[in-house]
Amino acid sequence: MKQIGWISGAAAAVLVAAGAITYAVADGVGGGDSTLTVPAADSADAGFARDMAVHHQQAVEMSYIVRDRTSNVEVRRLAYDIAQTQANQRGMLLGWLDLWGLPKVSSDGPMAWMGMAGMASGEDGQLMPGMATNTELEKLNTLSGKQAEILYLQLMTEHHLGGIHMAEGCAEKCRVGAERKLATGMVQAQKSEIDLMADLLKSRGAKPRS
Amino acid sequence: MGSAKNTSNASRKARIEEMRRAEQSRERRNRILVIAASAVVVAGLVAGGVVLVRSQSGKDDTASDAKGTSGHFTTGSDGVKTWSEKLSQTHVTKTVKYPMEPPVGGDHKAVWMNCNGDVYTKAIDNMNAVHSLEHGAVWVTYNSKASDADVKALADKVKQTPYTLMSPVEDQKDPIMLSAWGKQRTVTSATDPNVGKFFESFVQGDQTPEPGAACTGGLSQ
Repeated sequence: MKQIGWISGAAAAVLVAAGAITYAVADGVGGGDSTLTVPAADSADAGFARDMAVHHQQAVEMSYIVRDRTSNVEVRRLAYDIAQTQANQRGMLLGWLDLWGLPKVSSDGPMAWMGMAGMASGEDGQLMPGMATNTELEKLNTLSGKQAEILYLQLMTEHHLGGIHMAEGCAEKCRVGAERKLATGMVQAQKSEIDLMADLLKSRGAKPRS
Repeated sequence: MGSAKNTSNASRKARIEEMRRAEQSRERRNRILVIAASAVVVAGLVAGGVVLVRSQSGKDDTASDAKGTSGHFTTGSDGVKTWSEKLSQTHVTKTVKYPMEPPVGGDHKAVWMNCNGDVYTKAIDNMNAVHSLEHGAVWVTYNSKASDADVKALADKVKQTPYTLMSPVEDQKDPIMLSAWGKQRTVTSATDPNVGKFFESFVQGDQTPEPGAACTGGLSQ
């Protein structure tokens, strides 16, 4: 009888271990972290991640353009800072969508998640408020020196104003803590950059367009 | 004495016999228990294996270790065709001949075609377009059989969608086709709901070999 008890015990132990390993592996394959919160495709979290990734991409692009169009250290450094920061933040937003298994595009249109679908014309590449048109980007690409710096600072000021408005939407509506924190940080950082850009415009005898 | 001894012998024999039977039945019981326990363990492992295999078979099927040139499309239940082999990603200067039109992957030129919602009205080089697919773009292509209204509607959609591009490909099989890295499908019109589905699945989708790569700063027409 002792032998039976030992065999049954061993069998039960093997079974439990096999089950535990299977569960752990299957869970890992599914990419599931049981504590991960997965927002819905039409949530503020998903919408902000999608839309801000697009919005940021244009800021990165504009910053690369101006760095090719001027040798001024102040503006080149600001552009470097914006390109680095926004490219990284964009990667975070897209990475979250990947983790959540959600699409990068939505047929709802930009900013529907904050009740502002159709706010921008969508014409000429201006998909969201504050974004530059393709024509404006082409113009930036033809200017050089001070003229390029001024247009860049004006376009980026408007870009930041639109971005801040959207980030405030997420700071208010997003449920995922890390994302709300990122959005709140964007609001602060971009507000202070708007002040910096106002100074840079002033010292070039110019001012924001609006 | 003799008879008493006989009796004692007989009863001892009976006792031994009884003990032997008890021993045999214990062995039989042990054997049954061992077999049952083993069966339970095997069943557990089989069930675990099935769960594991099922959880894996649901994953994306773009990765394949197949080598050679016997690649072909397999059509999924959703109508999306998936290339059967792993597609190479080397930057080359020589001309690449692709086994499908429009191509959905393979070696390509070092510079990508801009795919930030760019609409090209003239044909583009496949070898630049394939690089855009590597960066996660969806490529909308059409030939002269597509209606002007569809072409215009698709162009409007592409212009609103970063990480897509559009261009004419005259020698393709169907009037309107959508391609992503390793993926392709035909749609009947610009309003076919499969357009939106393909975009949602594959614009910077799971199939992207190089997530995060740019659709700007490349080549334009």
